[in-house]
Amino acid sequence: MKLTERQSDALSELINIAFARTGAALSELTGHRVLLNPPAVAVYRAEELRDALAKFVPGDIASIHQVFAGPVAGDALLLLNYAGAVHLTDLLTDEEKPSAFLDESAREVLTEVGNILLNACLGMFGNLLNVHVTFSVPRLHLETLDELIASTTSDKGEMHYALVVYTAFQIRDSSVKGFLVIVLSVESLDRLIQEVDAWEAQQGK
Amino acid sequence: MTQPKRFAGATDPIRMTETSSKETLLNAAVLHWMQDLAAQGIITTDSELKIVGWNHWMEEHTGKRASDVVGHSLIELFPELRERRLDRNYKWALEGQVRVLSQALHGYLIAMTAVSGEHGPRQMQQAVRISPLSHEGRVIGTLTIIEDVTERVAREAELQAQLEDRSRLLSNEKQARSDAERANRLKDEFLATISHELRNPLNAIMGWAHMMRLGKLTPANVERAVETIYRNAKSQSQLVADLLDVSRIISGKLRLDVRTVDLLYIVNAAIDSIRPAADAKGIRLQPILDPSVGPISGDADRLQQIVWNLLTNAVKFTPKGGRIQVQLQRVDSHVEIVVTDSGIGISKEFLPHVFDRFRQADASTTRIHGGLGLGLSIVHQLVGLHGGSVSVQSEGENKGATFTISLPFVGVVTNQETEAVEAIHNEERNTLEGLPSLQGLKVLVVDDEPDTRELIREVLKECGSEVITSSSVDEALLALEEHKPDILISDLGMPDEDGYSLISKIRALPSERGGRIPAAALTAYARAEDRMRVLRSGFQFHLPKPVDSAELVTVVANLAGRT
Repeated sequence: MKLTERQSDALSELINIAFARTGAALSELTGHRVLLNPPAVAVYRAEELRDALAKFVPGDIASIHQVFAGPVAGDALLLLNYAGAVHLTDLLTDEEKPSAFLDESAREVLTEVGNILLNACLGMFGNLLNVHVTFSVPRLHLETLDELIASTTSDKGEMHYALVVYTAFQIRDSSVKGFLVIVLSVESLDRLIQEVDAWEAQQGK
Repeated sequence: MTQPKRFAGATDPIRMTETSSKETLLNAAVLHWMQDLAAQGIITTDSELKIVGWNHWMEEHTGKRASDVVGHSLIELFPELRERRLDRNYKWALEGQVRVLSQALHGYLIAMTAVSGEHGPRQMQQAVRISPLSHEGRVIGTLTIIEDVTERVAREAELQAQLEDRSRLLSNEKQARSDAERANRLKDEFLATISHELRNPLNAIMGWAHMMRLGKLTPANVERAVETIYRNAKSQSQLVADLLDVSRIISGKLRLDVRTVDLLYIVNAAIDSIRPAADAKGIRLQPILDPSVGPISGDADRLQQIVWNLLTNAVKFTPKGGRIQVQLQRVDSHVEIVVTDSGIGISKEFLPHVFDRFRQADASTTRIHGGLGLGLSIVHQLVGLHGGSVSVQSEGENKGATFTISLPFVGVVTNQETEAVEAIHNEERNTLEGLPSLQGLKVLVVDDEPDTRELIREVLKECGSEVITSSSVDEALLALEEHKPDILISDLGMPDEDGYSLISKIRALPSERGGRIPAAALTAYARAEDRMRVLRSGFQFHLPKPVDSAELVTVVANLAGRT
């Protein structure tokens, strides 16, 4: 499944609204201006996800993972490479000296950041589709890309798609790159895209 | 979609399932039991945020009993939640979102006191999760789980501090190592320069001395050889003197012999001594000296050295046909000596390092101009010891340089002392003409160094005295008995027994056996305190090495009462 240019633009615009909310929430929390770069969106088949991400996130990955259920269901993840995750938490918690690793407190901060971002995006989708989705507790994992893919890829019998949103956190003259990945069933993605089309048509009027 | 493996059974928020009332009761009992066992705070509310559950842990840590809080609004019971805008999380939970509140970004949800570990009571640090409780797709309440992370946060801070300490130590060590490496490099460069500088005159000395030994030189060439050897030995002696000065300055052992000195005299003397070198290069010397500059307090030798170093430097770095101006003037409470040359100048980059030890602008300049790069460093230190300052200006390369020395003009009592202004080692005094005669005097010379012994013997014989030499204290005591000399000249530093030992043994003798013989000490240690020790031990005079012939003859004549 490929997104048309218009669909891709509309989806980017919608996600950008969620990103703006996330940026505002993080700015308020940390007292620093936090911006998320306008997102670039692409859709991959679940089995293509590994190759698509491998180029961008080599080595260990920190992921914040939330499962959502309801009329639209799937996995939502925020992915950062390990060094980026350490840097991001340092920036958010005003750590003067660069940390060597993610301690428990840093992992909590990352979990909260992912939680805010994923909630903003999924909440926005829920509103758009006018459906109610429920969320699992967010969990942070440190693992390789392969381990991550293995943990998200669901029932092999069913076709799944991944919505991959590329962005970067901008804080205090620093930039930390990350990915938002939403794995959906064909059915859920179809529904989402229909609603995106409808929203886009609405905007055009 | 089906749930991913990892989240099987743990995905959705706590969900009440439709069961028989018996099962419901059992489940509720189990839940209650588990909540009270939990090592975390557990708060449940209904959809209006009225407290429904308040577990044992919460009772224990807040001091509020479940019976006191159940039925009350959580937000009203803890108004701080609204003040800190944390109530929003409950609103989102009621919309179906799970919220995570990290300790690092929030600190705590509900203020409690942590009593644990060695730190005593303090604000409890909390990690919090707020989830919706749903039933048939509708949110019917919220669940809050509070974890006490006070100890963990303290441990992490400790670990972080330890890591920082370690990295600071590491970077300090790196800094120290790079400093040491730099010092080492400078030392290596210095050693390379010094061996080059010391070897240069030595080559000339050895070459000419060798030819003289072969006896194949014409009388004209012999004269040239002696002249060259003398000139090179003098330049080497200057290098050694500079090195000794630096080592004394570094070790803080340089003492000024402060008296009232006449700067006009000193500057003139320095100009006179540099004039031959300047003339040889066709450099014009322009003294502009204010004769009304009064006497100041200082060490005459050192002040002379300062001016001489600056002038030597100016001559060295000024090309043929250049010009050097020397000004002496009084400016308020200071006396200024300004040396301006039209020489090669100093680049901006090197300007701050001009007074650094062992520094010359660059290797090629070192090669062209020679020297150890110590002169200006010595000037800087000596001026500092006089309470003055030295500065340098240069517009850049090939634009000349100006050195300004500023010395404090401290009120000097102008009495007879000015007459004691110290004279300088004068070139003219090196000739033996016009010196007092030592005819008929018998001088005993004691030195373990045959060369020095012979040199002194030759100089004294030239002036008419009879000379007996000894190479040790024992020999000298025998010679004293045997020859009954009139004067004793003794080296201080000798193996086995030194000059101090000799003079104390002599002074212990009765006068008819030579116990009152006038004596002068020879020493390379020309510090003021050495001089004091020499005089206290029984010598009447102190002669610094290398021995100046004229000074030696004058001292001997003086000891003999002939001046």
